Amino acid sequence: MRVPKQFVAELRNVSFAYEGARCWALREVEFQVGRGEMVVVMGASGAGKSTLTKLLNRTIPGFQRGELRGEVWLFGQKCEHETVADFAGRVGLVAQDFEAQLFSSAVEHEVAFGLEQFGVPWREMVDRVRAALAAVGLAGFEDRDPATLSGGEKQRLAIAAVLAMEPELLVLDEPTTDLDPAGKEEVLGVINRLRTHGRTLVVVEHETIAAEMADRIVLLCQGRVVAAGTPAEVLRDVALLEHVGVRPPDLAVLARRMRWAAVPRDVEEAVSVLVRSGVPTRAAAAGADRSPRSSVGEIVLAARDVTVQYADAPAPALEQVNVELRAGEFVALLGQNGSGKTTLAKCLSGLLAPQAGTVHVKGQPIVDLPPQRRATLVGYVFQNPDHQIFADRVYDEIAFGPRQVGLPAPEVHERVQEALAAAALIERADDDPFWLNKGERQRLAVASLLALRPEVLLLDEPTTGLDAREQRQVMDLVSALHRTGMTVVMITHTAWLVAEFAERVLLLHRARLVFDGPTTDLFARDDLLECARFRVPPAVQLGRRLGFAVRGIQELLDVLESRGVEQP
Amino acid sequence: MKLTLYVARTTALHRLHPVAKVAGVLALFVAAFVSQSPLQSAPLAVLIVALLWAGSAWENVRRFRWFLALVFVMTSLVWTLFYNSAAPWFSWGPFHPGPDGVWFAFAMAFKVTTFFAAGLLFLSTTRIEEFADALRMLGVPAKLGFAMTLAFRLVPAFVDAAISVVQAQRCRGFDFNQGRWWERIGRYLPVIVPVFIGALRRADHMAMALEARGFQRHGRRTSYRVYAVRWADAAAVALAAALAVAWVWWARGGLLG
Repeated sequence: MRVPKQFVAELRNVSFAYEGARCWALREVEFQVGRGEMVVVMGASGAGKSTLTKLLNRTIPGFQRGELRGEVWLFGQKCEHETVADFAGRVGLVAQDFEAQLFSSAVEHEVAFGLEQFGVPWREMVDRVRAALAAVGLAGFEDRDPATLSGGEKQRLAIAAVLAMEPELLVLDEPTTDLDPAGKEEVLGVINRLRTHGRTLVVVEHETIAAEMADRIVLLCQGRVVAAGTPAEVLRDVALLEHVGVRPPDLAVLARRMRWAAVPRDVEEAVSVLVRSGVPTRAAAAGADRSPRSSVGEIVLAARDVTVQYADAPAPALEQVNVELRAGEFVALLGQNGSGKTTLAKCLSGLLAPQAGTVHVKGQPIVDLPPQRRATLVGYVFQNPDHQIFADRVYDEIAFGPRQVGLPAPEVHERVQEALAAAALIERADDDPFWLNKGERQRLAVASLLALRPEVLLLDEPTTGLDAREQRQVMDLVSALHRTGMTVVMITHTAWLVAEFAERVLLLHRARLVFDGPTTDLFARDDLLECARFRVPPAVQLGRRLGFAVRGIQELLDVLESRGVEQP
Repeated sequence: MKLTLYVARTTALHRLHPVAKVAGVLALFVAAFVSQSPLQSAPLAVLIVALLWAGSAWENVRRFRWFLALVFVMTSLVWTLFYNSAAPWFSWGPFHPGPDGVWFAFAMAFKVTTFFAAGLLFLSTTRIEEFADALRMLGVPAKLGFAMTLAFRLVPAFVDAAISVVQAQRCRGFDFNQGRWWERIGRYLPVIVPVFIGALRRADHMAMALEARGFQRHGRRTSYRVYAVRWADAAAVALAAALAVAWVWWARGGLLG
């Protein structure tokens, strides 16, 4: 038999079904990773991406049991009874739930843990801890308690803890979900460096930016490999990407619509191709020009000189922040990890009383309102939907709020039905929320607040960890609410969401509000974009270069079509 | 938010060798446990308060002041009621309270409170990793040592999850402060469900993460933390031993009889 030495990991005709599950998580998968190769695995939620990563370090079948068929080869060796421990030093897996991977009292001890298990000499250990922290941009955080880090910092720490062990094969399951654009760039930079140093990498990613760096992309759909090839080959297949639930790159969508033979490398190339085909640059602004409606509605929520200082933090979490929100606005709250976004949202929802300054809702101090009254004015959807779901039936979960505020039973029922319909969860009304997938749980979290019909809805990163289709469904729900007149404030790191939905942007930087204005104005401010490391979506950049104020790729295509732009 | 008890300082207590710290807290536990009367507990309480002050652990005392006070008051009350007094003030059902009962109840309250305070002192001045290291140096297998410290590592995570759940429910109009105190306690019951499910999920994921970082591996382990044994550590162990012996001796009537 051929011994595949050139492959670090290989799956041969592998199928796997979790114990008790009705269907296969992976079906007849063929998968290879060569030494020094970087493979990106993409696909919708439930496509089998995490299952695949767990096969690579023996978590399956060691920890999570089920029916495994086919052959798993690691480092040229066919695996039979090997355990996770047998490959612990050679395969480093950073799993999706990064918070559960942290259990030490200080950042440096967290990184040292794996090295201690392997008996690495002290001197070397100190160097490797330092190098790993520097690689993920956490130098200077050595003494910090991991519990006090922001989500993105925790995610980088989880990577550093595995990186320090210098594994031959590094497997990262969605390593940038909770990161801000700067953090994403840093982690992607780390991945790129590892790659150039010949490290073998398997990375699960939803976003195409990471995928563009890969040697090969593997697309999974319902447990099957539906495509594998270079980024240029896979990412240009817009129809396939959409079919499997991956958001295709803007430029690929453009290329397909324009029937170009090749996808432009970057925005500049796309501009020159379009100009050659007769689109005038710097034409009079046309298309969907958004004039913010901020002057229309009355002020519903106002924060004045809000300052928050957490007891154990070295610096304030918010400093003298002033914000006025008007009825019917759609506002994006941006800022790097740890810049104070969640703290501000908690102040605006009355969950946190600032040390200095005031928050007024409809003219009344929010902290003075009883919880029942507050709930009907301001709703706050938590970052992690699992923190707010506790009923054993979807219906009861949504009915909880209306019952708390003392609505009569018929009205509770009416509101639950309305919320179920809005969140497309009617079919699941009697199910246990535990069995919903993450996208459904996120929609349930929104629906449960929706039933209270608050005037302002605060959403804390509502699309984190969701695939393209689920993101679209959640955003459809949110924008439908906004159209009914609800004021929406959304914390997010996702550029296309901001471009497509937000009329106004609040940008926090180191606890201070550094920008408050129309989204289009922010996109014109390179200094601020640089400070937030915010990357304007390619379609919007392209529109700006051509003189169209467009929100996303669809609007750009519409504008080009209305201008009668033909293929060259 | 900081949820662990460890107070990152560099006091003399913090700098002690972890084995000396473990010896110290064991001695305090023994002394608290064997104390027979408030008279015997009082000097111990003074010692622990002094150590808490020396270890800059005062912020934790502040955090737990109501808990400590509640433990003290409840223990005194319950033991006063249930103690079978030789000269009861009155007898009603199982209750025979009397002056000797009060004395005994105070002894028990002191015992329990000093016990908790000693634990608080230890956790305020000792990193969880140091505790695990100490257990390892004392011959406890590394895996068992880690398991023993796991509770301290997980509790903060659960508290954190519980706080999020409480906030999420308050957001939906849930008023935790409504009604009488037993109703209020009842109101916290729904919080348990998501916290418990979260705890299970987290424990599961943590086990996988531990494994992936070589926890089940056989062979020599090293430590990132280096500990030098100094005279202060020897002195601390000697003092701890002396304290334990003295209190046992005192409790057995040695000092008085």
